[in-house]
Amino acid sequence: MMKMILRRLASSCLSLFILVALVFFLAHLTPGGPAYSILGQKATPESVAQLNQRLGLDQPLLKQFGLWIWHLLHGELGYSYLLNRPVGQLLWVYERNTLIFYTVSIIISTALSIALGLIQGVWFGRWPAKLIGAFQLGFYALPPFFVAAMLILWFAVDVHWLPASGIIDLRDPHAGIASFAAHLVLPVTTVSLLTVSSLSRYFGEAVHEELGKDYVRTARAKGVSFASILFRHVMRNALRPLITILGLSFPYIFTGGVIVESVFNYPGLGWLMWRSALSQDYPILIAIVLVIGVLTVLGNLLADLVNGLLDPRASYE
Amino acid sequence: MSEAAMLSLSKSLGGRLAGNATLKAGLVLSGLILFLGFVAPFLDPVNPYTIHPSHALQAPNGQFLFGTDELGRDALALLLSGGFTTLIVALPAALLAFFIGVTYGFLSGLGPAWLDRLLMRLLDVVLALPSLIVLLFFAALVPQSNFNLILLLGLISWPSLARLVRNEVLAQRGRDFMLAARQSGASSAYLARVHLLRVIAPILVVNGTFMIGDSVLATSALSFLGLGVQPPQESWGSLLQGALDIAALDPWWLILPPGLLIFGALLAASLTGQGLLQIWGNKR
Repeated sequence: MMKMILRRLASSCLSLFILVALVFFLAHLTPGGPAYSILGQKATPESVAQLNQRLGLDQPLLKQFGLWIWHLLHGELGYSYLLNRPVGQLLWVYERNTLIFYTVSIIISTALSIALGLIQGVWFGRWPAKLIGAFQLGFYALPPFFVAAMLILWFAVDVHWLPASGIIDLRDPHAGIASFAAHLVLPVTTVSLLTVSSLSRYFGEAVHEELGKDYVRTARAKGVSFASILFRHVMRNALRPLITILGLSFPYIFTGGVIVESVFNYPGLGWLMWRSALSQDYPILIAIVLVIGVLTVLGNLLADLVNGLLDPRASYE
Repeated sequence: MSEAAMLSLSKSLGGRLAGNATLKAGLVLSGLILFLGFVAPFLDPVNPYTIHPSHALQAPNGQFLFGTDELGRDALALLLSGGFTTLIVALPAALLAFFIGVTYGFLSGLGPAWLDRLLMRLLDVVLALPSLIVLLFFAALVPQSNFNLILLLGLISWPSLARLVRNEVLAQRGRDFMLAARQSGASSAYLARVHLLRVIAPILVVNGTFMIGDSVLATSALSFLGLGVQPPQESWGSLLQGALDIAALDPWWLILPPGLLIFGALLAASLTGQGLLQIWGNKR
């Protein structure tokens, strides 16, 4: 187990290093190089030369790379000339909103996927499973922006039940938690519908497959109740692929986030990424690419470790 | 060939095609989408850019079958020209990504072990970056035109196919017919062209089909975000975005059609791919 953890950690570190090198390369692709992207396109040549010297950008490329990593390790991610604040600070403000949004969405999606997957696995081939299958196929092919558009049209425009966009600042004394929650309903529903459609399918297939295995027959022959088999044995094994997929979809749930956050004008990390791309605010773009890459590598690592804990066999694979 | 043999052959081929409802539905839907994208725009005489200020934002009626947008442009004409633009970007982009992915996969699978390890490690990292994030970064970087959009989508959407092809090549490489061919002096290029390509063709076709769907989705998503097809040209994604901007006025006739068409295109690719997978999966 310990050996597996160390091996996975080493492999993740290597991936992180290549990732950082790749992003460094991307940063050098931006027009005029990093100095321009920090000072803005209207910067004078003198100020660019000055900043280049200060940041060490007049040094050889390899030394620059070293310096860049040094800055990163100290949390210096650059400066957004558009929003006039350090990128590190900005990222944290927006990341907080995204975290709230996605924690709620992931909890709801996972719970629903497990419930639907169990139904689908147990009643495989009969009408409840078929009904769920139709839902999965339909929503799997639906583009997120269309789902969001329909929800806005129905619930925000036609019946005025819910607000269509924005967020309420919790520090504002007049905006209650109820208003904050109401603003989250439509974005969370959009993400959950799309996530559940694929997650529940994987889980349902896993449950169905596990139920057909020999250990289930043995347990039934011994007289173990079906509920006990389902929840104590089958669930444990069927959760493995679900956890791997959750880990892998960590960043993909986020990319769905760019679209959902932009549709609902929800000021999270995806929204910030979108606005920065539209206004070519490179320091933010580079920082977000980096953060997402790191999150992905960590998400994979986390999924492997959790799987190793759930099933010791996985650590020898 | 005897009549009986002819009959059984046509039955097995035609039977597989006709017997598979998923594939049939996918092909019919694909045909419909291609017709709407490449034929219908030239049958409709209405200029999508003509503005009728006195008829702005009208629901579907006798004069404007699909209504008009907030500028008074004919929604049907916009929808058809938007479809043409969407497909003229998405299809070449998918083709480009397909060729890069196949080439990368073959290089990695057939090349020496060190090259394989290097290429796969690089792939791991590239796959760690969600393609939409990378797309946004580069869409901000390069000047926006349909040609650049095709290059961008093509250069970014290949990694998952590359991994699949590489794994498949590795799996086939050790099989007896490959060893026999190598023994008789076949070069890697010959092996790739004559033997491997034929064996993994079904997998390539199925995944190529899925990639077309992904490409339509990516094109629409970028256009929806304002970083894809640029005005005055419209695409399904940008039409949906434009309609959503005025969502408070409840313009359902501007939101439903482009959304349903994107959904239709994605469903067409998905059903066709699933159908092909089913009939080829059965054959094996």
